[in-house]
Formats: sequence, structure tokens, C-alpha cells
Amino acid sequence: MKLLNGEIISNERYSEYLYKMVIFSPYICREARPGQFVNIRCAPEGIYDPLLRRPFSIFDIEEKFNVFSILYSVKGRGTEFMSHLEKGDLIDFIGPLGNYIDLAGTKNNVLLIGGGIGIAPLYLLAKQAVVMKKNVFFAAGFKDKSYQKWEDDLIELKIDYTIYTEDGSIGSKGMICDYIRSNIKLFNGYDVYCCGPKEMLKTIQNIYTKSSNRVSVLLEEKMACGVGVCNGCVVKVKHVKGEFRYKRICKDGPTFDIREVIFD
Amino acid sequence: MTDKQNSLFVFIEENNNDINLSVNIGKIHLENPVIMCSGTFGYGEEYGQFYNTALLGAVTTKSYSLKPEKGNPPPRICETPAGLLNSIGLQNDGIDCFIKKHFPEAERRGIKLILSLFGSDMDEFSELAYKVSEIKDKIVAIELNLSCPNVKEGGIAFSSVPADIKKIVRSVKRILKIPVIAKLSPNQHNLIEAAVAAEKGGAEAISIINTVVGMSVDIETFKPRLANVTGGLSGPAIKPIALAKVYSLAKEKILPVIGMGGIFSVEDALEFLIAGASAVGIGTANFIKYDIGVTIIDGLREYLKRRKIHDINEIIGRLEV
Ligand SMILES: Cc1cc2nc3c(=O)[nH]c(=O)nc-3n(C[C@H](O)[C@H](O)[C@H](O)COP(=O)(O)OP(=O)(O)OC[C@H]3O[C@@H](n4cnc5c(N)ncnc54)[C@H](O)[C@@H]3O)c2cc1C
Ligand SMILES: Cc1cc2nc3c(=O)[nH]c(=O)nc-3n(C[C@H](O)[C@H](O)[C@H](O)COP(=O)(O)O)c2cc1C
Ligand code: FES
Repeated sequence: MKLLNGEIISNERYSEYLYKMVIFSPYICREARPGQFVNIRCAPEGIYDPLLRRPFSIFDIEEKFNVFSILYSVKGRGTEFMSHLEKGDLIDFIGPLGNYIDLAGTKNNVLLIGGGIGIAPLYLLAKQAVVMKKNVFFAAGFKDKSYQKWEDDLIELKIDYTIYTEDGSIGSKGMICDYIRSNIKLFNGYDVYCCGPKEMLKTIQNIYTKSSNRVSVLLEEKMACGVGVCNGCVVKVKHVKGEFRYKRICKDGPTFDIREVIFD
Repeated sequence: MTDKQNSLFVFIEENNNDINLSVNIGKIHLENPVIMCSGTFGYGEEYGQFYNTALLGAVTTKSYSLKPEKGNPPPRICETPAGLLNSIGLQNDGIDCFIKKHFPEAERRGIKLILSLFGSDMDEFSELAYKVSEIKDKIVAIELNLSCPNVKEGGIAFSSVPADIKKIVRSVKRILKIPVIAKLSPNQHNLIEAAVAAEKGGAEAISIINTVVGMSVDIETFKPRLANVTGGLSGPAIKPIALAKVYSLAKEKILPVIGMGGIFSVEDALEFLIAGASAVGIGTANFIKYDIGVTIIDGLREYLKRRKIHDINEIIGRLEV
């Protein structure tokens, strides 16, 4: 990991609250792997409000151009600040952070389940799986059509996918978890990676309790340091003898075996 | 190397040698007055990727208890205006793990360590001290955390009583015979009394401030933003409070003071030194400016050069009132 200042190549608005920011960084292109994230400073130098950096998954890497991108939705002041940055501005970030997903030695069939902005880290994973000639299926669920433009990115990967929206404005109408539940046999023998709202992850954990699939989950929690020193970003995981312990999402994760996670 | 580069190198060396950044905090000698605060730094593995952590005056470890501590339930972090609320709850691997695993790593990196200890009663502090005996000659000092706002038993309640402070410091000092620093709380009304008690117990210095008790409420869910309800506030938001505490304690000249709380720049560090701190602690800033440690050391040197002051000690406590 390195502390970096990257030039913004573009900061494109995908929909009302969704943006894709492309950043120049040969270092990240070289070093980052799927599942990792960067921690971005969301205030000008010398301004301490908002104080903390904000974590964002690495959405895509285009080695040819030495650029990587993040897909982000505007939630509060940090992301609002980011949405006003322009081509040519410098952005202060550190990365790559967190454990990564190593597809080598995994099953040939990969199922990716993303809910909302949870699709962000899965996109790079899908892209790498394609390079490794794996059979990838992307199941994505959204509230409405705000992710419509992202579908164009997905189409570029030439993989099978399905999109569900709660209001039916794009793809099929319904919840992505219901789709998975009804089609679970279709994905027998797939390695599963999921990321999204906690409720969705809990449901997926339930769906897969009795199956033998390997299921990994990418988690989120508020972070302070992002590098593993403050113990601020912990999640409860199973420990020996029915006990639990805390693991750090920024350093031990963000990717965990879904069966070890205790959602409460 | 060409001659030109060579002479340039010598010039800078001489110039740097001209300036003294080293300080003595009682019997504790530090190469420079920049210390990393407890719970905010690790052992150099992470920050070692940004700069040589052996250059720091010292690094204070997370507070260790006898047994591993799970810590508080999440969410443990909440951002407030220019501040950070945390309710980590002293999560740590236990002193044995520190001695076996983290200490050798820090030693290998040449980090000067101040070991922070936390006990929920007198006995735990003494037992901790006995455990530390085997490495005591390889650390700079012990810091006793007598002020964590995030633990129910012990913490503030037990260790803020001056009589207890004196006893704890004395017992640890007797067992280890190395410098002991008492870390006190800004939430404590009797700061001066507590410092006097620490001095009577044989402490070498006082570290202030630990975090300030605070909370934040989510108006949509009616829930507190920290699972623990309250937490400790750190960062720029508490700097003026910290500075005033440091000033009010340092001028009493009971013990040297290590000042901390919201230091984010060399200018902040200078304010503390001028107000009377013999050294400064950098905490939350490490989460945002990962190279803050060296930035401040370099900045102090630059400041002294610019002001044509040769020794950092010449500015300590020189506040003109
Ligand atoms: C490992 C990791 C990867 C992430 N990747 C992405 C990504 O690729 N794209 C993206 O849009 N978002 C991502 N997030 C979430 C993103 O960090 C938050 O949305 C962002 O910090 C909000 O900042 P803000 O200042 O705009 O909002 P704030 O005003 O801080 O908060 C607005 C809302 O966002 C929530 N929030 C704040 N910080 C976090 C956080 N760290 N994690 C989850 N929720 C948070 C708050 O609870 C609140 O409801 C990721 C989070 C983590 C931990
Ligand atoms: C995440 C976090 C963890 C901390 N853990 C400890 C601890 O274990 N022991 C301790 O004495 N102080 C602890 N502190 C307090 C700091 O050492 C320091 O006194 C305080 O944060 C004020 O300095 P700052 O504003 O520069 O962070 C912690 C602070 C933070 C933010
Ligand atoms: S954010 Fe500090 S340990 Fe994860």
C-alpha cells in the first residue's frame, strides 16, 4: 500500500446519485486485486471536516491506460465532495487495502450476487474471472433504474447476467435473493461472492446454510484508519467452542467466508 | 556521487546536526519530541510502509490487559464535526501475545516503545508489571492508562481516584524500576490532584489528554450512533481543550507533561510545546495523514531553522502571558 495523489481522468455521472471516477495510478493498476479498496480523503488539504477518509472498492482497472475506477453513490458530505471533483484535479488516497480474492484454484463456475452499490467490488472480480476463462454469472438487484448505465459496463464483459429491480424499471421486477432462492439448483457447484445491504447478505447466508458451495461475502463498516490499527471496523465472527470474536473488515477482510460471519 | 552532490549532502547534514530536537522527559530521553499515541499506531508494520518508524521519538502501544479483551460491539466509530468518537473498548490480544508477537516485530524495526498497560484493579496492574519484567530493559517507559472512557469497570471510576493512582504507579514502578508515565483523563475534575498523586507514586511524566467523553444520536432511528452509547472524542475538535489542560498542568511544574489531543500539523505540535508540553502525542491524525509522524519531525526542524533557534528545549513552556 502507498499514500498517493492521483489525477482524476474523469468523474462521470451515471444517474442522480451514482458516479464513476477514473483515476490515474500505475501503482494501483499493478498492485490491486479484486476485493481490495482505496481510502480517499474527502476534504481539501488543511480542512478537517469531514475528518475521516472514506473507503471505496476498486471497481475496475484498465492496465493499458494505467487507470482504475471507483463507482460511488452520493450518500453524505464525503461523497458529495467527491462528486464535485473534476478532470485534472488530484485526489489523495491510499491503497490497495484489505485482503483480496484469489480466483486461482477456485471452481470454474462463479456466481456473483450484488445488491445496490455492492456490485462495485464484484465487477473487477467478474472481469478477472473472464480473463481466467471461468464461467461467470452476475445476479444484480437494485431499487430502481439508477444503475441502468452500469449495465453497459456489464455487457462489455460478455457474461451471463440477470438484473432485478424492486420497481421493475429495469430487468425483472422483484428481489434478487428470491431469484437466487428459486434457482439455487442452477448454481450448484458454483463459488459464490456477494456484496450488498446487510439484510440481503443475511438472506444469502440463510439460503446457503445447508449447501456445500463456497460462499464469500464482502462486508462494510465505518472505518477510521483503514489499515488495521484502530480496531474500529470490526465484525463479529464465529470462534471456537460457540464463542465469537471480532475481526477487522479493513485488514482481515473485507472478504470473509459467509459461514463464519455472525450478523446481528 | 559527484563532488557537488557530496558537498550538498554534508551541508544539509551539518545544518541538521546544528539543531537539537532531543528532549528529556524526566529520565526518559527521546531523540525528538514526537510520540505516537496509544491505540492509534500499531507496531510499525502498517506505517512502516510510509516511512521509517524508527525515526519517531517513541511509539506508545495499544493498552494491554492481562487477558485478551474482545472490546465493545460495533459500530465503534462515529465521525463528528472535526472529531472522531470511538468506543473500541480496549480490544487487545493480552500482554502475553504482545510480548511474544508484537514486541519482537517492533524491536526488529528499531521502534522505541512505550508500553501502555491497563488494569481493572490494583492486582491486574501488578501482575502486568511482573509479566513485563522480561522486556523492561528494551522499552523506553511504561504508560499507565488510568483514563479510558470506554470500559465500565476500572477505567475512570477506579483509577481516577488520586489515592489509587499513587498506589498503582508505586506498585508498577517498584516492580519494574523503569520510567512510568501516568495517562490521565480530561474528564477528571481533579487533574492537579491526580498529577500530584502520580508524582508521589514515582511517575516520571503525565500524558494528557485521553479522549473526551461524548456521544451522537441518529435522529431517524432514535438510536445512539455508537453501540456503546457513549465514546471518547478525539481529533481537531478537542485540541483547544487539550491545550488548556496541558497548559494548566505544565505550569504547576508537578511533572513533565506529554501533550496530546487533536494534533494534526507541525503548527499544532508547536502550540503544545510552547504551552508547556515536553513532548507531543499524535493519535487520530495517523488515520488521515499516514505520514504525519515524519512530517511533524521535519516541520519542527524547519521551524527552528527559520526562527534561528538551535534547541527545541528553548521553546518548551515559553508561552508569554
Ligand atoms: C470496504 C468498503 C468498500 C466500499 N466500497 C464502496 C464503493 O465501491 N462505492 C460506494 O459508493 N460506497 C462504498 N463503500 C461505502 C462508502 O465508504 C460510504 O458510502 C461513504 O463512506 C459515505 O461517506 P459520506 O461522507 O458520503 O457519507 P456519510 O455522511 O459519512 O454517511 C452517509 C451514510 O453512509 C453510511 N456510511 C458512512 N461510512 C460508511 C462506510 N464506511 N461503510 C458503509 N456505510 C457507510 C452512513 O452510515 C450513512 O448512512 C464502501 C465501504 C467499505 C467499508
Ligand atoms: C481509536 C482510538 C483508540 C485509542 N486507544 C487508546 C488506548 O488503548 N489507550 C490509551 O491510553 N488511549 C487510547 N486512545 C486515546 C489516544 O491515545 C489519545 O490520547 C487521544 O486520542 C487524543 O489524541 P488525538 O486527538 O491526537 O487522537 C485511543 C484513541 C483512539 C482514537
Ligand atoms: S478501520 Fe481501523 S482497524 Fe479497520
